[in-house]
Amino acid sequence: MTDQLGALTTIFTEFYYWVTVVLMFLIHVGFCMYEVGASRYKHHQHTLMKNTMLIPLVTVTWFFFGWWIYWAFPTGPGLAPSIMNESAALITDESTFSAKWYLPNTEFMAINLNDHISGVFWAAFLLFSWTAASIVSGAIIERITTFAFGILAIAIGSVFWTIDAAWGWHFDGWMLKLLGYHDAYASGVIHAIAGGFALGVLMVLGPRIGKFSSSGEPRNIGPRNPWLVTIGLFLIYTGFWGFYAACNIPIFDLGPEYGMEGVTYWTATNIYVTPTTLSGITMNFLMSLSGGLLAGYVIAKGDPFWTYSSGLAGVICASAGNDLYHPIQAMIIGMIGVVIAYKLHYWVERKFKIDDAVGAVAVHGYAGVVGLIICGFVLNGYPSSGYSVGAMWDGSTYASINPLGQFLGAIIMFVVLGLIPGYVIAKILNGMGKLRIPREVEIAGLDYEMMESAKGDEKAVSSATR
Amino acid sequence: MATVTNWIDHLSAKEVVGAVYPGAGSSETLLVILGVVIWIGWHVLTNKSESEELSRLARKKHGANDHKSNITDW
Repeated sequence: MTDQLGALTTIFTEFYYWVTVVLMFLIHVGFCMYEVGASRYKHHQHTLMKNTMLIPLVTVTWFFFGWWIYWAFPTGPGLAPSIMNESAALITDESTFSAKWYLPNTEFMAINLNDHISGVFWAAFLLFSWTAASIVSGAIIERITTFAFGILAIAIGSVFWTIDAAWGWHFDGWMLKLLGYHDAYASGVIHAIAGGFALGVLMVLGPRIGKFSSSGEPRNIGPRNPWLVTIGLFLIYTGFWGFYAACNIPIFDLGPEYGMEGVTYWTATNIYVTPTTLSGITMNFLMSLSGGLLAGYVIAKGDPFWTYSSGLAGVICASAGNDLYHPIQAMIIGMIGVVIAYKLHYWVERKFKIDDAVGAVAVHGYAGVVGLIICGFVLNGYPSSGYSVGAMWDGSTYASINPLGQFLGAIIMFVVLGLIPGYVIAKILNGMGKLRIPREVEIAGLDYEMMESAKGDEKAVSSATR
Repeated sequence: MATVTNWIDHLSAKEVVGAVYPGAGSSETLLVILGVVIWIGWHVLTNKSESEELSRLARKKHGANDHKSNITDW
């Protein structure tokens, strides 16, 4: 960096993503608090450790292969040619955005004085990965083994979500070109896929003991500590600010990027490199959060657990198009998503005896799917990519955003990359006898021995005289 | 092991070499192999200890409320 303006732009971008990473860390803090608050006393410590250990497991596998998948898979492979090398194969050539540079043994996967961006961008995406895995974690508390959850967390966090990001988030993704897929703040690429994955796992894992009566009526279990749940959800909201900012590119000159001769247009863009503003998405974030809270309070009759979750579901539902919506559109979409997700949650629970302990499938999965579909109607006709009008894409044009493309995109996210892999991997783990903890342990509590040991320590200390 | 021994020489070169970590250009693949072994090894070790812990606890057949006698007051 020898030019001062170029250096400022680069260092600003590096710092911008770094801040988003720190903010997004709060999402995980929030998820941990939320899960512990929702679980029963006798399972607390194992519940906490299960969610905590996904951090190192997803991080190291994201380093080994997750990040490489994102850059290698935009073409499918085999579904649509890349705008960089016009090949539909995996992108592993010498081009600038090739996966080749992100193999774990390359010099760009480390401190590199010539690259100030790759590391923070890697980290921002990694925090998305944690979120995807953590969404699954909450649904399956109190009965899954830590070993099984570790495998499932790696699968969703370092494999399947990164494939969907390559397909539907990468500027060269085949879903943009063929379907006109648009998902600016991850209604589908994080939330629908993680909700679908959780549902697939739940179908195999089964409900907690006592969740359903002998006649099949569901019983309410918890949350044990609503205050911890409250703080957890507030922290998730807070971290979500970082998530939104991380989905943007903070400063970019679209003129030369789009091949517009003589045009200079500096702006923030979304992940698809189409223009938006951090200012506008901040309004939409708050309005969709408000829509979710308003609808949740009414439909859940003031239940705090569901009202807070509905705030989150409102944001998730509007996220697909929050780069372009009017704030009141964002609010109404958030409200619609909450009503559908809430109703679907209880219908699925009764009909299929699915025990989603924290409503994760509803809040993330159903709200995400609804958000994608609504986006197809509200943003119908908008370009899914700026590259369709520019020099970088000279094949057939990118499809514009449309209802059918968004519907198919929702199916791909929730079912193809979410539910099916979750179900299959859980089946395999179950077949190995590794998925679910023994019935006796579930009844006694995962923390029984830790608690017994702590009680022993307490007695010893309280009877000590020196 | 040091990749850089003089920053002035390093940064005034016609093309500055970006990778400055110890063993740059020669140790990366070995480090990745080591990392993968640690990662897989962790799963093996923790799976074994978790299985033992769960089996031991399952054999004791505690009741659903037995843990309440172990709630500490400190």
